[in-house]
Amino acid sequence: MTQLGFYIDQARCIGCEACVIACKDKNDNPVGVNFRRVYSFEEGSFTEDKNGSFIQNIQSYFLSISCNHCDEPKCVENCPTTAMFKREEDGVVVVDQDKCVGCRYCEWNCPYGAPQYNEELGKMTKCDLCIDLLEKGERPACEGACPVRAIEIGPIDELRAKYGNVSEVKGLPTASITKPNLVINTHKDASE
Amino acid sequence: MNEWPLLIFTIAMQAAIGGIFMLWVYQLRCKDKENLDMFNLFKIPLVIIAGFSLVGLGASFAHLGAPTNAFNTLRHVGSSWMSREILVTGMFIGLTFITAAWAFYRKKVSPWLLLVTALVGFIDVYCMAAIYSNSLISPWNSIHTFMSFYGTTFILGSVLAVALLATALYRQKMELEAKQFTKVALIIAMLGIALQVIGTALLPVTMTEVNMIEASAITELLSGYTGMVTLRWIISILGIALLFFLAVSSYKKSFAALSFIMLLTFVMSEGMSRYVFYVLGS
Repeated sequence: MTQLGFYIDQARCIGCEACVIACKDKNDNPVGVNFRRVYSFEEGSFTEDKNGSFIQNIQSYFLSISCNHCDEPKCVENCPTTAMFKREEDGVVVVDQDKCVGCRYCEWNCPYGAPQYNEELGKMTKCDLCIDLLEKGERPACEGACPVRAIEIGPIDELRAKYGNVSEVKGLPTASITKPNLVINTHKDASE
Repeated sequence: MNEWPLLIFTIAMQAAIGGIFMLWVYQLRCKDKENLDMFNLFKIPLVIIAGFSLVGLGASFAHLGAPTNAFNTLRHVGSSWMSREILVTGMFIGLTFITAAWAFYRKKVSPWLLLVTALVGFIDVYCMAAIYSNSLISPWNSIHTFMSFYGTTFILGSVLAVALLATALYRQKMELEAKQFTKVALIIAMLGIALQVIGTALLPVTMTEVNMIEASAITELLSGYTGMVTLRWIISILGIALLFFLAVSSYKKSFAALSFIMLLTFVMSEGMSRYVFYVLGS
């Protein structure tokens, strides 16, 4: 099996959310359902120094996240129906819509907020890494839409060889929970 | 708060489980009284407890987005606590109905069926709590969840038994029996309250760190519900005071009415406690 995964160049990300929109458009998702999300992190404040001027230590950065098709997906482990499963051929985690009962338990078991409930279907939906596009030799929607080329999808071994092993940044839960197939080039303010 | 069906499901099932346990406790105490018509005493409680379990079952279906796929939830018993809980809940409901049907058919109560049903019920409470404590929602990820759920089971079970069984004993002029059983119920309800108090005290030290993206800290989540948490404990204390009054005073004129008021008081306090529980996770 060749496990697929994501490389996210957080240092480059400008938070434009083109990836979110491209994903939403490709999957025709309703309002509120976002397989990919961009989180913004801000910290610091303005303080007045003794001369009466204001100084600041503001830091801000973005993080684009979808499903990380983890090695130990808690959503799969805890799904009561086996609808949530990991494909043998490429390790992509998908939902079998014929089996899903819409209990939303996977929502409580994903550190990354990947499973997204679709009210109209009454079932869970999520990022499938655009396997249909990959099979046609095309690029997944988020990767193709990013104007700064901050997203790359491919075999995780190759991505790790190219970009390293960082899969935890400030604001993201520890990778030890589910072992995500994710490599991040960390923004300067997001190093732990 | 979007989890009303789960709130109703957990409260109704735990009341039913506690209720069955209390019926077993009562029959154990009356083992030697051969002239006691146990069936006559137990028939209404058994029907009402079965009714509670059906309310729970209905609420659990209301939680599902695709209820027609409900049987699929039994496919992952090997790894999913939700699957296990659904299986054990089904067994408890089935056993409750068998216990009731046996009693109506044979015109006598089977202590063994009551015991097995209560034990399956206690396993069910464990599975229910494990669903939440195994999730990544950090306020649930603690021993507090188990103590809160078992606490509710003992509290609602004992007050349900007082409202249903002790009132029936009064009606049959078995006043001493009624009073003694209410005292037992008081002790078990106090045990439930103690479990919840200890669980609440342990929550801050046993909770895991935040392990979901964009999760809020528990103090931040709770800050909007201080009033509700305070009110829940005040109502619980009033309920215990009422139960204490019913257990020790010789006033028996309005026993039935007061016991139902006490039942409602505890349903309200446990409902509020569970409401806050779900707010922490959603």
